[in-house]
Formats: sequence, structure tokens, C-alpha cells
Amino acid sequence: MHYDLIIIGMGLSGLMAAKTAVDTGKKVLLVGKGMGALALFSNTIDVLGTLPARTKLVEGLSRWVQDHPEHPYGKVGVEQLLGALTSFSSLFTRSYTFASAGDENSDILTATGAYRSTYLVPNTMLSGTSLRKGEMLFVGFKGFKDFYANYLAHPLRCRAITLSFSGSSHGELTATAIARLLEKDSIRKSIGEEVKRQLRGEVRVGFPALLGLNDPLAVKGDLENLIGTEVFEVPTLPPSIPGKRIFGTFRDWLLRRGVSFLMGYPVSKVVLKGKRCEGIHVCHPPVADVHTADRFILATGRFLGGGLVADEMRIHEPLFSLPLSQPSSRLDWFGRSFFDDHPIHYAGVVTDSSLRPVDDQGERILENVWVAGSMLSHHHLIKEKSREGIEISTGYMAALEALKT
Amino acid sequence: MVPLRPLRLCGESLTFMKQETTWPKRNLDVCTRCATCMAICPVARVTPLFPGPKQAGPGAERFRKPDEPSVDRWIDLCIGCHLCDMVCSSGVNISELNLIAKAKYLDEKGRPLRDWLLTHVYLFGRLASFLSPILNPLLQNSVVKWILDVFLRIDKRRQLPGYQFPTFRQWFRGHPFKGNKKVAYFYGCYLNTNEVDVGKATVQVLEANGFEVVLPPQKCCGIPMLGNGDFKEARRMGLWNVPSLSKAVNSGLEIVFSSTSCGHMIKHEYSHLLHIPGAEELAQHTFDLFEFLRNLNGSGTLNTHFKPIQKKLAYFAPCHLRSLGIGFPAFEILRLIPGLEIDFIDADCCGLGGTFGFKKEKYDISQEIGKDLAEAVARLKPETVLSDCEGCRMQIRHLTGLEVLHPIQILKNALQKEG
Repeated sequence: MHYDLIIIGMGLSGLMAAKTAVDTGKKVLLVGKGMGALALFSNTIDVLGTLPARTKLVEGLSRWVQDHPEHPYGKVGVEQLLGALTSFSSLFTRSYTFASAGDENSDILTATGAYRSTYLVPNTMLSGTSLRKGEMLFVGFKGFKDFYANYLAHPLRCRAITLSFSGSSHGELTATAIARLLEKDSIRKSIGEEVKRQLRGEVRVGFPALLGLNDPLAVKGDLENLIGTEVFEVPTLPPSIPGKRIFGTFRDWLLRRGVSFLMGYPVSKVVLKGKRCEGIHVCHPPVADVHTADRFILATGRFLGGGLVADEMRIHEPLFSLPLSQPSSRLDWFGRSFFDDHPIHYAGVVTDSSLRPVDDQGERILENVWVAGSMLSHHHLIKEKSREGIEISTGYMAALEALKT
Repeated sequence: MVPLRPLRLCGESLTFMKQETTWPKRNLDVCTRCATCMAICPVARVTPLFPGPKQAGPGAERFRKPDEPSVDRWIDLCIGCHLCDMVCSSGVNISELNLIAKAKYLDEKGRPLRDWLLTHVYLFGRLASFLSPILNPLLQNSVVKWILDVFLRIDKRRQLPGYQFPTFRQWFRGHPFKGNKKVAYFYGCYLNTNEVDVGKATVQVLEANGFEVVLPPQKCCGIPMLGNGDFKEARRMGLWNVPSLSKAVNSGLEIVFSSTSCGHMIKHEYSHLLHIPGAEELAQHTFDLFEFLRNLNGSGTLNTHFKPIQKKLAYFAPCHLRSLGIGFPAFEILRLIPGLEIDFIDADCCGLGGTFGFKKEKYDISQEIGKDLAEAVARLKPETVLSDCEGCRMQIRHLTGLEVLHPIQILKNALQKEG
């Protein structure tokens, strides 16, 4: 099949590129060997969590972009980044929505009991951004080992309770199992009533971020009615139910608009002709299907998703063998201690200002391939707390740039 | 570093694989324990009895030794949907590790007569079709169902599909059509005796596109046996089908299938899991029906003289379609029909899992998984539900009471001449 655009990678940057392209009516194939990292890390949308408190994002970003011209944000620019965030948020209009607190970062409580600074927060978590010590009750679930209510309640001088689901006294409960149970009226009712009974004057109740997959705002609202206090979600360990909500919303939206959606098998080979990519092989033994397109976006992530691969000596980009910015020797990959700055984090694909890959001379290698997402070089998304911002904005920009040609 | 031990398998039905050291890719060590598969597994979501793909697959595999008896009491609860494989970013074939472990466990423990019957219904298809006027009421009869429930542990709450006479193949015999292009059709045993209309619609749509349909000799593809961990029987079916289908391929024909389960079996499992000679070559010429039509559309030769259909439909993508790795061609093609409103059902698995949902000890799990799908359907309020898999269609009828069709039946209606 021939497409206007093929996007390789099904993480947030690939999804965002697909959305942007299909908005302009193009024929798009989105292909990914797995679900990407959305169901792992993403709960809220980080843009630049390291900005000093009470800094307007626009101001902080403008300064950052000036100081870091090689950073992905340096290429995207502030205006386009804001456009990308607006485009992302426009997908979430029905009940589960994303918003920032006064165009600034806000500190959100996580399951570790520590706060982290983030930008766009879903409305199920919003009231978890302005907490006062002692006013909360935290609820955990027996058999769910990825959230210990007492662990985060203790430093906040709050109380915590751990509830059991009736009829499941045995075994472990997974995040999806609980999210599903909380969507059931009868179970929610018994949970809500039990929490209300155990309330000792607390005005907010924090649950792990498992309040359903389909309509979390309704689950939250119903629990609030039952308990009589505000209820909020606390982001917890993988798998991320809020990340799955984001993935599901994108998938639904893209399929409705006719994007061809191909999940589960890797792109094994790309077909190059001079400085152009002509097609990809999607490998499913013993068959490899060939798909061709006018343009390609590479958004295959970093080490976890396989967009970057490290051997004993070097880091590689396996599909196009793109040259990478990376430390000259393995000895320089890591700092001395765990919490040091590790140079390997900054490694990645180098592009020109239009996100097309370039070699060490700055010469464009491929004319119809754009690169998006965390595989780009010159950022440290963990330290900067910029993962989703980079993914959303570069996915958005790569699609716009690709469709200019 | 500990050297990777070569993969060795034992157990009766797996003996033909003993020499294999390369398959499945010894890739459980690339599992990063990220838990994305845990977010998708339909079984672990509804029951704590199954530890989920991460633990049951790469987790437990590290402790399995070929010369020690299997202790995987819960492995039989893996429904075999492959969804874990589809979401894994590291490329671990989790469901295959499960299937091999299941085969070993059941080879050692033994299989009940019920499992043999459920996986060999194809043997009685022609007879059942002939006797359908007598047989069908019996299959609905509560005493008969009670007997099946008590003595064979086939759950009495499960609706048993009725048989049709004449069979698809018998109907086809009296169906003359000559075209300048030919295509071979693997219809599958269930369609032949239980959903003849799907076969008729397939033939009509292919003919409307100028293709003369050929039916190569064929037997059950073997997926029921494979799903029950019976590699030996599954392989027997493959060894019968591959030469017959390859003969059609050698005479210049492509093969299309309308059942995504049969298709997945032929195209991928025959070579990959069962090592049937000739299967790799056959796979290159085997296509899902709608993939075939999508290819025609891509080359501008699809008959798109569709008449408008004013209908609100919902489409459910079966697990085996997802694991075919061809996207959702039926959904893409049906979107070309004017007037049709078609939604994609946001659910992961129907819960039937082939023979899984018929078994008394698994019926409740099957229904609980299905509830998510039923709720997703209820949110969309369609008049008719579509799915490419006979198992999904059976289960969605059972869950919702709605009309459930194969997408080809809608395409046939759109191509039918007025009056």
C-alpha cells in the first residue's frame, strides 16, 4: 500500500504525528512493534519540570530555548510547542481533560510520597496539586503491590487505609483489574461507603490512579458523592492506567479518521534510494509486508523501545543507521555515582532545524525522513522532566514539516 | 555471565520440535519487566487465578526445566489471544512461551475426552449438517445441555451453534461462474457447516470483482488443537492442508481466508510453530479476505460501485486479526461505503478464546472478559455488530443478543444490484 506519510513508532510522538498529519487529510500509516511507553511512564504531561516555581511556562521556555539551541525545544520553538500542547489537549474534551494550573508547573504528589513538578494534569489529579499536610486520607488496596498508602501518608502526616475487594481475598490484583472493578457501580458503592465510615475529618481522599479506563471523571464524581469529600488520583508505578487512557483516546480518534493502524510487528528493513526512503518492510515471519510512502517519520524511542540500541562499544540507530551524537567512548557513558549527570542520556539522533537527520558535518542525510520524540539528542528528559513535552511537540512539528514538502 | 541454555522441549506432542534450538527466539531475557502486557491481558484483568503474561510467560520460563514435571497449574487459563505479544515493545513472544508450557503441562497431565471432542468437531460436520433438522433442536434442548454439562463439563449456559444444510461446499458445487482471474478460498470448517452465508457473501464479492473462486480440498486448519496445546494433532492437520493449498498456489493462485483464526494458523503458525514443510512459501501467497480487497483498492481495481447503506454498525477486531499484523482492513474498506456509520469497538478480547469459553471451569472467566466488550458495544448502540472471527461473532451474539455478521456480508449488500 502507498501512503502520504508513514510513521514508525507508536509512542506519544508517533501518535501525535499521526494526529497532526490526519488533521490535514493525509493518508497515514502508523506502525509500531508495541504499544510504546505510554502505558509505562506517562500520567501527566511534563514539559519542563525543572523550571523554578511560579515561572510562567512561556517565559521559562523562552529562556531555555535561548540557552539550549540544540535541545529539541530549541528546534520546535515556544510558539509551536504551545500549539502542539493545544492540539494534544483538544483530543480530551469529553470528560477526561488536561489543564495546567495558571500556565505554570504544579507539584503533584506521587505514590512515592514525593512531589514532582509537571505541567498538564488530568482533571482527576488536579486537586492533588495543592495539598495541605494532615488534610488527606489515602486509600490503598489489598493485593495491589504498586501502591502503599501508608508509605506516602506518613511523611504527609496523614492517615491511610487499605481496603479489600469483597470476594477476592486471595492473590494479587493488577492495575487493570482494579481499574475495571472501580468501574462497577456495586463495587464502587461498597468502597465509597467504607471510606466514608473510616473518615476522621479528612477533606480529601487520594486513590492510586486507577479510577477506571473509560470515564474516570464519572468514577471520581461518584466516589465524591459517596464519600462526601474531594477525591483525587495519585500517579503510581507501571503500568500506567492514565497512560493507557491517553493511548486509547488517540487510537480511537485516529481510527475514526482513517489512519491505518499497525501494531505488533517491527519494521525490519527500510528501502532507500539515494537520499530518499521509499518503503518499509514490516516483518511477521515468514512474511514481510512492504509499505511505501512519500514521507516517513521515525519515532521509535530510546533504549526501551528499541529506537536506540547499545552494544559493548557504541550506540546505534538500527533502522536507518543514522549517525548519533554520543560520548566518544563507553567509558564516558556514565558519571561516577547513580545520581550524577550521565552523558549517555544526551545521546541521540542529530537533526537540522526541520528535524531531518544530519551527519557530523551538518549535511542532511535523508530528504524525506523526519525524526521525532525521545530518540533525538541533546536532552535529558528524566532530569529536565520534559518527556511528554518533547514527544508531543516534536511529533507535531515533524508532521507539519513533512507535510510542507 | 551465564550462557543461555539452548531451548529443549519435551512432552509427547512437542517431540518433533526437540531438535530445534533456535525457536522460539530465546528472547525471554529481553523482557524488561515493564508490565505493558499486564495492562492488556484480558484474563489477568478478571481473575487473580492467572498470574498474567509477565509472570506466566518470561517470568516462569526461567524456572522451567524440560526434564522436570510441569507445575504450571494455571497455564491453561492463558486464553491465547496474543495481545501481550502485540503490545510488547521488546518483542517477547509471550503467548508462545505460554502455549508451549501449556502443551507440556497438558501432555503430562492428560486431556479430558471433552477437549478431544471440542477440538475435533470438524469430523462430524458433514453428518451434523445432514442431520441438522434433528440435531439443532437437540443442541438447544436443556436436558441435552445438562448432560453435556455434567458428563463432559461443557457449560450448559453456553449457546451451541446450529448446523446448516446444505453445506457451503455443497452449495458451491451448483454455482457456475467463470472469470478471467481466479482465486482460491480457504473457508474453514465452521463456515462450511454453520455460517454458510459468510461463504456465499465472500464468493459473491470476489465474483463482483471479476474473480472466479476455486475451493481447494481442505480440512480443519488445526487451530482448536493448537489452542489446547495439542501440537501433534495440529501438525497433522497442517501436514494435510499445506500440500493441498500449495498445489493451488503452484497453479498460480493466491489463497484468501475469511476466518482470521484459520488464516493466522495457516499463514504464521504452520511455519513458525509447527515447522510444516512448504508452509513458508504458502504464507507468501495467503491473504486475509479484506487485506486482499484492500490490495485491489490500492491498485485501483476494487469494485467500489457501492450503493449507500444507511446503517449504524460497530466493528470488533478479533485477536487473531490483530496478530496477523495487517491492521484493520475490513474497517478501512467498509468506510468506503456511503451512508454507513461504523464505529470501532474499544475492547480487547471477546473472551470466547475458541474452545476456552465452552469449558465449564472457564465459562465464568470467559463471560467476565466478554462483559467489557458488551459494555463497549452498549455505549455505541449499533444496529449490527461486525467481526471477522466466527468465535467473536458467536460470543458477541451470546453477550448482546444483537445481529452479528462478518464484514463481507455488509460489503456484499453494498455491491448487490437493486431489486
